[in-house]
Amino acid sequence: MVAALQALYRKGRDQWLFQLREAEPGTVTLTNRRVFIVPTRAGLAFAVLLLVMLIGALNYSLGLGFALTFFAGACAVADMYLTAKNLALLQLAPGRAQPVFAGEEAQFELHLLNRSKQDRYAVWLGFQADGEPRHVTDVAAGGSSAVLLTVRSSERGWLAAPRVRLVTRFPLGLFRAWAYWRPDARVLVYPAPELPAPALPSSGAASEDGHGTVGLDNFAGIRSYQPGDPLKHLAWRQIARHDPALGGQLVSKHFEGGAVAELCLDFAALPLAMDLEHKLARMASWVLQAEQRTLPYSFRLAQHDYGPALGDAHRAACLRALALFGQEGR
Amino acid sequence: MSSAQPPAPLRPATAMPRSAAAAVRGRFALPLTRDKADTLLLLAAALMVLAPHAAHLPLWISALAGITLLWRAAIAWLGKRMPPVWLLVPIALAAMAGVYLTFRTLLGRDAGVAMLVLLLAFKLLEMHARRDLFVVIFLSFFVLLTSFLYSQTIPAALYVAVALVVLLTAQLSFQYTGAVPPLRQRLRTSLKLCLLAAPLALLMFVGFPRIQGPLWGLPGDALGGKTGLSDTMAPGTLSALAQSDEVAFRVRFLDRAPTQQQLYWRSIVLGDYDGRTWTRVPRKRGLQRLEITIQARGAPVRYETILEASNTRWLPLLELAAPHFQLPGHRLRDSDEMELYTVDPIERRLRYQAGAYLDVTLQAGEQPARMARWLELPAGFNPRTLALAQQLRAQRPDADAAELSKTVLTRFRTQNYRYTLEPPLLGRDAVDDFLFGSKAGFCEHYAGAYVVLMRAMGVAARVVTGYQGGERNPVDGYYTVRQSDAHAWAEIWTTQDGWQRVDPTAAVAPERIERSLARALPRPSGFGGFALAPLLDLQNDPDSWLAQLRYNYAALNNSWNQWVLDYNPDRQRSFLEELGAALGNWRTALGAALVAALLWALRWRRARQPADRLDGLYAAFCRQQARHGFARLPVEGPHSYAARLRSMPASEEKHAAMDQFLHLYGMLKYGAGGTESRTASLATLNTLLSLCR
Repeated sequence: MVAALQALYRKGRDQWLFQLREAEPGTVTLTNRRVFIVPTRAGLAFAVLLLVMLIGALNYSLGLGFALTFFAGACAVADMYLTAKNLALLQLAPGRAQPVFAGEEAQFELHLLNRSKQDRYAVWLGFQADGEPRHVTDVAAGGSSAVLLTVRSSERGWLAAPRVRLVTRFPLGLFRAWAYWRPDARVLVYPAPELPAPALPSSGAASEDGHGTVGLDNFAGIRSYQPGDPLKHLAWRQIARHDPALGGQLVSKHFEGGAVAELCLDFAALPLAMDLEHKLARMASWVLQAEQRTLPYSFRLAQHDYGPALGDAHRAACLRALALFGQEGR
Repeated sequence: MSSAQPPAPLRPATAMPRSAAAAVRGRFALPLTRDKADTLLLLAAALMVLAPHAAHLPLWISALAGITLLWRAAIAWLGKRMPPVWLLVPIALAAMAGVYLTFRTLLGRDAGVAMLVLLLAFKLLEMHARRDLFVVIFLSFFVLLTSFLYSQTIPAALYVAVALVVLLTAQLSFQYTGAVPPLRQRLRTSLKLCLLAAPLALLMFVGFPRIQGPLWGLPGDALGGKTGLSDTMAPGTLSALAQSDEVAFRVRFLDRAPTQQQLYWRSIVLGDYDGRTWTRVPRKRGLQRLEITIQARGAPVRYETILEASNTRWLPLLELAAPHFQLPGHRLRDSDEMELYTVDPIERRLRYQAGAYLDVTLQAGEQPARMARWLELPAGFNPRTLALAQQLRAQRPDADAAELSKTVLTRFRTQNYRYTLEPPLLGRDAVDDFLFGSKAGFCEHYAGAYVVLMRAMGVAARVVTGYQGGERNPVDGYYTVRQSDAHAWAEIWTTQDGWQRVDPTAAVAPERIERSLARALPRPSGFGGFALAPLLDLQNDPDSWLAQLRYNYAALNNSWNQWVLDYNPDRQRSFLEELGAALGNWRTALGAALVAALLWALRWRRARQPADRLDGLYAAFCRQQARHGFARLPVEGPHSYAARLRSMPASEEKHAAMDQFLHLYGMLKYGAGGTESRTASLATLNTLLSLCR
């Protein structure tokens, strides 16, 4: 009962008082209504100091003592105004975000735009869940600055940027102004590849031909190096004979059978008993291995059926399909 | 903070010998590291905060604080480690013991301030975290406040204002996390903060409800150094005061001012003489107060006095004070001798209004028996004076009191008596020595000797002390009466005329009464003993530019005292009432409302204007076309917007203008800059904008 009331109170406070909102698309301006301010511990100490000064001025009837006390108090109020202003009307926009594998740090690039004529100093940023923000940046008048915030990804799929808290204590440190912002940014989290890496599946066609599993081991001679050849295929023995510095050429080993033994990564071919996430992890691991070994591969997963290919785009499409498997509607 | 900082790298020894000055210059040429610069700025602020206290603190405390600051500066400069706690604690304890030995207490004003000063200096050596920084800054604020205990003059206030800006700059400097702007810009930022704060501070100063202090008993030394008239008079009492330039009180006459010769400010009446010292006649407990008859002629002179704190109880009132004098907030007593005094010593500046009758008959027709106490003389003192009195009396057996008085004054005038601030020392029979020996004295000698002579001749007489004269400031019309205007005169009583004022000093030095002491006596220390001072004599010439400057400054000081230092609950109430009355006037209220509306409109206008004029023009263009039903979509850039606008039904010229506008805008916004200057391009855009309507 108490817990429920507390939760209700917290929800009401967050939504009504702190105006916590869902992700807002595009550039967001921190209006005055969204900037909150409270005195810091130093600010509270300053209030006590003011009281002591007031009592001193009163007791000794110091006219100038009153003046100094009131002036110091007014400075604190001016500081409050400037601190809030340091954050207010700051514009925020999410930047690009690169996909990551589950378990890796997802990086969100956030842009702070300062359209005002005042430089803004010492704006701290961090995800609300992380406690006190640890990243700090200045935003020059009419300029912008970018901050990279990282969050650890845990499971595949879309990872929306958590709520960001912006904090500033500039200029005097007597007040702490803060604002919340949920950037409209998300990172695609690929399934974590299975470890240790499982062997690539044997293609049905290749096995029937009686060649090796992948046709990688069938050394067929050497040819001149072409950009894109993996380093491990360089024919070092031959290269050593023809010193490239003396006009010699790089040569690569040439393997046969690769084209014949087409690599096919088929989700349906995995054992039925395997756990879904395990299957996806294995598929991801295969994709990475195939890419690493530059073996063109085809990819089949539910409605996704990609023909044999190689390269970043193909890899990204496959991993994306894996990441979003079963979550497409979301 | 600095302790975490790595030691400064050693500079490689250069082959060429370099002078120390060059080395120092080299140091300065190097950009200081952030921490170092911030710490040095904080030290500079602390130095500014501590400096005014050097004037009153014992030398060893100032020196210790100075050494501590230097030590801290060296640590910051050389990047050394901070001293360990086991070294600091004994030093701090020893300093505390020193304070106790010097002041014999740890409480009280002076000892407290000394402790605060040392605390601030030592805290600078023990500054490790951000919290310590705030402690140092807050301590500095308080030490600044305590400097007002010693001086509240305008220069002191200006100095504190400057120190405050530096202190705020130091506080500000620690808040930067990235690039730190140059010092000049930081100073400007804190100055801006101060300007923002100023109106609010003024409002609080005027409007914050004031309570009359003190909240609790002040320590005994709280009002040190206040001087005022003493309620006894011995040779040297008044001449000591006469050397003080301190202001005793200021007066403004509400109607016509009396002449200089009429300005006798009565404080204390002295009737008992023990051969050396004049004291007040003690009041016997339970004794019936006399019925005092006063016949006043003419209208009273009304005036307002601002009395400086004197730590005494006597109020100087223009002779002869009108009855029914009120002083809110103070309990008053009066005496049969027409004195007025407060029950508690006057510890702060007082403001009161009073009236005075210049032409008065006091206690006329009183029974002579009641005046016997004003005839008493100590036995066995001043035999020659008594003999002289007998002789004078015998020469004119039928003379009345006025004639006898005239005889005495004539004697003073004609027998080479001198008026001087530095009379020779007098022996046991002081009056004898004065009248027949030195013949040189200050007002107290003349008044005392006169009263002794008159009493010896059988005329009731008494000494009155107070102030005489005052310097009128032509700038604000206030009369300034200084301690140097302290004066002693006499009163004699006759049945017919009652008490009559007689000023024996006037017989010797009439200019003292006509003008003021400043001009009656050659100043021994004018211009600080500067040899040319008598030649220049600017001080005494009321028309010289220096005197004008002095008057202006005095007037400024007077308003400063009234409006800043003495803004007490009474003054606040009356000021707010006046303000309320002024604002109640509909014309003033309307004016204020208009100004407020104007300011608001200006602000609103400025808020609507985008920071960049180019963006403003573009926004205006988009608004314009939106009215024709072609609002720019959020995703559209100028180029695609231009493409869509071509489908708008409009004249050829308008289309051309729109195209040109958007093209030029795109160029200016995203291009590397056209052939025209930016200002010219903006002007073109403006023209095009009007064509696109």
